[in-house]
Amino acid sequence: MTNTSVVGKSVLRPDAFEKVRGGKGFPVNVSLPGMLHAKLLRSPYPHARVVSIDASAAEALPGVKAVLLPKDVPQIKFCPVFFVPTLAPSMIQDMLVMSDTVRYAGQPVAAVAATSAEIAEQALEFIEVEYEELPTVFTTEAAMGEGAPQLHADAPNNIAKNPVFEFGDLEAGFADADHIFEGTYKTQRVHTCYMEPRVCVVDSDADGRLTVHSSMQHMFGLREKLAFVLDLPESMVKVVKPPYIGGGFGGKLDMGYIEPVAALLSLKTGRPVRIEQTRYEDFITTTRNPIEVYLKTGVKSDGTFTARYARSTLDCGAHATHGAEVIMVHGMFGILLPYRCANQTWEGRTVYTNNMIGGGYRGYGSPQGAFAVESQIDEICEALNLDPIEFRLKNAHQQGDPHPFNPEFTLSTYRFEDCLKTGAERIDFARRAAAGSTEGVRKRGIGLGCQALWVSGCMGFPDIYEHSGAIIKLNPDGTANLSNATVDMGSGQITTLCQIAAEELGLRADQVRMTYADSETVPFDAPSHASRVTYSAGTAVKAAAANAKQRVLEVAAVMLEEGVDNLEVRDGHVHVKGSERKLSIAEVATRAESPFVQMTAEGPKPTTIGEKGTILGVSSMAPPSNPSPASVEFVEVEVDTETGEVSILRVVFAHDIGKVINPSAAEGQVEGGFQQGMGYALMENIQFDQETGACLTSDFLDYKMPTAVEMNFPIESIFIESDEPTGPFGAKSLSEPCTTVPAPAIANAIYNAVGVRIRELPITPEKILAALGKL
Amino acid sequence: MKKTITLQINGKQHEIAVEPYETLLQILRNQAHLRGTKRGCDSGGCGCCTVHLDGRAVYSCMIFASSLQGRKVTTIEGLPQGKELDPLQAAFVEAGAVQCGYCTCGIIMTAKELLAGNEPLDETQIRHGIAGNLCRCTGYTKIVDAIKIADASR
Repeated sequence: MTNTSVVGKSVLRPDAFEKVRGGKGFPVNVSLPGMLHAKLLRSPYPHARVVSIDASAAEALPGVKAVLLPKDVPQIKFCPVFFVPTLAPSMIQDMLVMSDTVRYAGQPVAAVAATSAEIAEQALEFIEVEYEELPTVFTTEAAMGEGAPQLHADAPNNIAKNPVFEFGDLEAGFADADHIFEGTYKTQRVHTCYMEPRVCVVDSDADGRLTVHSSMQHMFGLREKLAFVLDLPESMVKVVKPPYIGGGFGGKLDMGYIEPVAALLSLKTGRPVRIEQTRYEDFITTTRNPIEVYLKTGVKSDGTFTARYARSTLDCGAHATHGAEVIMVHGMFGILLPYRCANQTWEGRTVYTNNMIGGGYRGYGSPQGAFAVESQIDEICEALNLDPIEFRLKNAHQQGDPHPFNPEFTLSTYRFEDCLKTGAERIDFARRAAAGSTEGVRKRGIGLGCQALWVSGCMGFPDIYEHSGAIIKLNPDGTANLSNATVDMGSGQITTLCQIAAEELGLRADQVRMTYADSETVPFDAPSHASRVTYSAGTAVKAAAANAKQRVLEVAAVMLEEGVDNLEVRDGHVHVKGSERKLSIAEVATRAESPFVQMTAEGPKPTTIGEKGTILGVSSMAPPSNPSPASVEFVEVEVDTETGEVSILRVVFAHDIGKVINPSAAEGQVEGGFQQGMGYALMENIQFDQETGACLTSDFLDYKMPTAVEMNFPIESIFIESDEPTGPFGAKSLSEPCTTVPAPAIANAIYNAVGVRIRELPITPEKILAALGKL
Repeated sequence: MKKTITLQINGKQHEIAVEPYETLLQILRNQAHLRGTKRGCDSGGCGCCTVHLDGRAVYSCMIFASSLQGRKVTTIEGLPQGKELDPLQAAFVEAGAVQCGYCTCGIIMTAKELLAGNEPLDETQIRHGIAGNLCRCTGYTKIVDAIKIADASR
């Protein structure tokens, strides 16, 4: 592994210094002179036709500057998902910014811009809407059944997408099996619960050019989607990168209603328009899709897979949004690919209902898949008395194998076996008792879950963006500015990308600063999603830094009258190899921007043309590969068999993420990821009125997620480092598996503790008591 | 109908005209232009808006501003704003307790009250003390570490 001086260190986050003093850079703080505030009127009905709207009373209210109704909005169907072009074949264009057909409770039908948010909100009450209610359907089963209301004309039986993947001969595989296992595993609708609400401020100029400030995870996706729905050339839309946003986790990975509505209201009024969502609006804007997975698996008595069949049914709600792609990623990376099996078939169905729309959420289909797959592996091992670690090793891909999704790539670093063994040793998995065998009311158990193959980035999916870019500019004081379009939603790109640039340039981490970017000044970048930024953007940042370094060497070569090959950069200086002679990078950067005659301590000295020109490094490129990390998690729990309450006692997480760029930040991903996975496993669930489809979860008092009290246990992060040859300084990626593996690990630990298997999340005390026959 | 109140914010007297429905959170952000206090939910559920009212940590979204005549409010901006940080702020940076940072100011204000007592805190006290503040990035591990560091440095 390369020796590094900045990479691999837990350097402090520069943005943290700002955030502990208030954090002015959040999009929620953007305020422009003359700014109006807008609110959306949302339908109380889950399926209805808007017969008429009378907004005259609202328009007459003092302070109201504009009202937006469906008739004012271009009726352009679109898909809001950022990481594909709007017309990509994999995506489904089934949404309108404002429509006179309502398909879920909470869909906007009008908007008001006023001089204050309070006036705008009050004005909504003066808008008279006449609705014609239509028949509704709230379950995927009913939606696919006979006589169900058809929600979209081009989706018979309400099936939006029905992908199938087949490998080998399924029938022969099952015929070859010694044992066949079946099970159905269900997951619920949860929210990412980013803490900063979705917010935007959109301004327009006299030519109709838009400037957009938004809390989204992707500048370029927002530019493209917004231009598309407004029928504008993309050059008419400028998206400004926020210095940082208050969380995202995939929940800010699609254009909401607020950006186009604010844009249209700004074009109407000529003033900047701000929309900030309430927490209720956030809850109905983006969620992890519930998926029901039926798994049928054939195995030999020694545990070798012979056949795997899976059928996944995803409730996408009123519009497909991410549901068109989540189902694919879920099928491929959540179900089929993590383990080797020659004979596999998977069928997915993305189904429309009158429920709220779904979105992206850390893991993107893999948490729903891993819960099913890893739970069933535990069931198989239990039934056949097989060791769960040996079982996984027997069926897992090995380092050096071709990548199962894209055989052009090799799993050149893939230390899954080391993760399993090191984690097992740390938690002493061998001490695990037989299921339900511990004495007493409070029973303990250990379980494990894996994300045996998760691909950072999306190479291999033809529709999906993966490229990144960066601009590095040196200052005369020897520091560097880095511009890059990836939005830091808290996971630490500001720090890690600066570390990568600093390492390449021979600077200290605090000598590289992440600076301003907008969609007009920096190269295209895919979103901050899919655990991709460290690897993909890191690769582009390193390339830009290498370009800048080359310029530093060229200028220094002129100044030192040496050959470029005879120079090297380290410790903030350009050194002549094997000599004491050196120049500081500050001197080099200063000379590059100096006039021809430069004042020095020794008096005026002439310089040459060869030195001239600000030192810049630019890159715009796709990353070379698609390296898979490997993650394994062990969890020890205690289950109270009288109350059904589950306490987590200890977590051990082992992960091959390549070279760790910043250990403290990496631990933070594991710890926060576990909290989200634990909430998914044990408590989080968005509640609905079964008759009206109304979302009953309106704030955090209605949505239980883990607090510091429930998180009272040690989380041990073990990073099994590998040196990924295509990664920046050997790095791969981290974020999503941290959230994917907790649910199956916890479910398996609960089984080990009390001997009952719960196949439906969240595993609440009621479900445990019912399974124990106590309810 | 607006009512004018006088209150102290971060040691300075402010005279502010408030509507009856306006919360402390709203006047801090919109009238005093103190943007460190954040709105996460507006319903007393997340703690992002935590400030001190006469030395006690409160959710500023749950308090009507009109009731605050003569009261003393401290926000995150009442802590050091220069390079020299309060030891608690410094501990949050040092421990890696800040990720997205949207909850951070609220948690610091809550922890500041916890640290106002004379006795050292045990981990349970810290965890229960910040249970009214949600964080979605960190799993609280490094936040608890930071408060321990600040506690030990007193």
